[in-house]
Amino acid sequence: MSIISLQDLKKTYTLGDNVVQALAGVSLEIEPGEFVAITGPSGSGKSTLMHIIGCLDRPTEGKYLLDGKDVSGLTRDELADIRNRQIGFVFQGFNLLPRTSAVENVEVPLLYSRPVMPVAERRDKAMKALIAMGLGDRAHHHPNQLSGGQQQRVAIARALVNEPTLILADEPTGNLDSVTSIEVMRILQELRERRGITIVLITHEPDIAAYGTRVIAVRDGKILSDRPNAPRDTFAEAPVAIAAVG
Amino acid sequence: MLARYPILQLAFHALLRHRMQTALAMIGVMVGVGALVTSVALGRGAQQSVDDQLRAAGANLIMVTAGNFQRAREEMTDPDGNIGHTALLAPRTGGMWPQAPRPEYRLATLTFFRGVMAGGGPWAPTGYVAADPRLMLAHYEDDPLAIHDHPTAKDRLGDVSAGLGSAATLTRADAAAIAKLSGVQYVVAGVHENAHISVADDPGRKQWFTRLHGTEAKLPEVRSGWSMAHGRFLSDADVDGSTQVMVIGRIVADRLFGDGANPVGRTVTLWNQRFRVVGVVTSRSWASQPTAGDDQFDAVYVPVTTINRLLNLSKLNTIAVTSESAGDVSALAKRIKLLLRERHRIGVATPDDFSVATVAQQAIGKGLSPALARAVTGNLQDIDRLTIEQLSASLRRTNLTMLALLAGVATVSLLVGGIGVMNLLLLSVTQRTREVGLRIALGARRRDIALQFVLEAILLCLAGGVLGVVGGMLASGGLEHFFQWSTVVSPLSAVLALPVAALLGVAFSLYPARRAARLDPIEALRHE
Repeated sequence: MSIISLQDLKKTYTLGDNVVQALAGVSLEIEPGEFVAITGPSGSGKSTLMHIIGCLDRPTEGKYLLDGKDVSGLTRDELADIRNRQIGFVFQGFNLLPRTSAVENVEVPLLYSRPVMPVAERRDKAMKALIAMGLGDRAHHHPNQLSGGQQQRVAIARALVNEPTLILADEPTGNLDSVTSIEVMRILQELRERRGITIVLITHEPDIAAYGTRVIAVRDGKILSDRPNAPRDTFAEAPVAIAAVG
Repeated sequence: MLARYPILQLAFHALLRHRMQTALAMIGVMVGVGALVTSVALGRGAQQSVDDQLRAAGANLIMVTAGNFQRAREEMTDPDGNIGHTALLAPRTGGMWPQAPRPEYRLATLTFFRGVMAGGGPWAPTGYVAADPRLMLAHYEDDPLAIHDHPTAKDRLGDVSAGLGSAATLTRADAAAIAKLSGVQYVVAGVHENAHISVADDPGRKQWFTRLHGTEAKLPEVRSGWSMAHGRFLSDADVDGSTQVMVIGRIVADRLFGDGANPVGRTVTLWNQRFRVVGVVTSRSWASQPTAGDDQFDAVYVPVTTINRLLNLSKLNTIAVTSESAGDVSALAKRIKLLLRERHRIGVATPDDFSVATVAQQAIGKGLSPALARAVTGNLQDIDRLTIEQLSASLRRTNLTMLALLAGVATVSLLVGGIGVMNLLLLSVTQRTREVGLRIALGARRRDIALQFVLEAILLCLAGGVLGVVGGMLASGGLEHFFQWSTVVSPLSAVLALPVAALLGVAFSLYPARRAARLDPIEALRHE
């Protein structure tokens, strides 16, 4: 069964008198364990697509089945719950809370999980996620004491802490240099290979999209092309020692 | 500890992020809560000072006296327990005011009473007793062992029928029962005698004939305007142990020991018994200087229990009662009357064997023959309600006006403080839009976000509230110290101020919290 199933998804915005069609009928199936890279220039509708897949937005028309469940008609709080349990977000700007330690940043999704999680368990899970990202010794550093790559790894730890089945990465390498970018892509690849987590990556860079197992090009709110891809090998490109994602 | 409550920690962090604005908003709340605490303190202080003044004027004093001089002629006490009134001058005709008596009738009545007083003591067979105690007590009878051809102190206080008017009916048990009534401040049992006091071991056998009061330790609280020239007043231990100690009035001290002498520690003799002098009482007020023959300072005081022990009897002449609040004197007097009727098993159709008088009644009767005074005040049964309670009510109304004004100021200050809180939170929501968006994206529900901001406001207001309580207490103390305004800071108002502050926080954070909770996560995440 597909983890993501989009059926003729449409999304229109009204800006003043102008009706903008961000998505003009998108149908898509994503199977568990795929690493899907969605590419397209700005304004192509890829961000809107990601927001809908990420349950941050609702389609105007069409159906969205996440893990077999129709989420197009859920309330705001129900969607919040799904985001919390099933989806891990990795953002371009990391979006870490300033003046807050790495481990506390990783704990944030756990604050909102139901039922309420005991303090010790929360701290324990957050530490494990950080250690898996090779940041066990940086747990009490604040974001401004960490490098860009380390910050993005904290953000990935935060995305992983609630053990989601899907990770949505929105331009995760946009603020990183090329070496660090490869590091982040390798982490995503390993998450897919070792944990079977489905990855949906949004990027406008073809280089980055090439790390996926499937590349979807979006243009003018429609799917332009959708083809399988032999992913680039991060080990061959940057044989740096980074923590194994276990 | 904060780590256990991450949401509290968040609120703290958020508040610390804008120290200046937080401090200003907190000051707003502090001023509001402080004004509230101060206004309550001022209101209660004004209330208390009214009560204190009326109390100092003796307006709260109720005197219960054994016997009832009007027994034979008195109307029955009505079932409501209204202070007994009499038909001596004119029958009550239903209205509050008696009909004006015909002049010749009043004259006749007065003449009749003068006759009684001139010819009779308490032992007089007439049954109508001279009301002035000085007349009937002007006899040598200070030696309880002497054989007399007339009733002695013991007889009058004891069981020998000595005329209806001086019937000895009050006991210490009555006093104890009165003390248990609500609204009672002090109860002092009294036995009053005349006696010879002499200096012990004085070769000259210097002695002085004076008033002897058997009393209790609280008498100085009941008598306003007393001060101790030397030593102390009788203590509870003296009364409980019926010890032979004596406090003497300034006049007595002057006559026995020389003007201005300090007789504390000396020994005097009363009824051939030795008493140690422990104090000298004098007047604090220039208005009532000690004079020979007065009832307070030409007098000596011993524990009532000591008199009871020496005379081997348990009856009292008087029970002095003060009420806590001047306004309820009439009601309390009524309750005392009903209580004593019940305790003395006086049936519905039987007159009292005691009398209860308030100071207002006594004041009106001053200078009149006691019987006449009683006739007048008995008919004007609501006299003290018309005076003291009206005075106290009008003072209270003035207070209420002032209190309303202060409460208005406090309310406005609280509103301003609340608006300050709201302003801070709106700023906070705007500055933290991105954070709020992130939290929503990571799974925060609306109520999680809203709660965070409400909690922030509650914390802020509680901190301001604590400061406000402290500030209000300081302000109250300052007003009392520098302006002599009377204030009473009640612990209750201090405790209640905090929930009020918290409620203020909730009320003024609802709008910002709602705004934060309704943010669109996509828009919020794009916010710079």
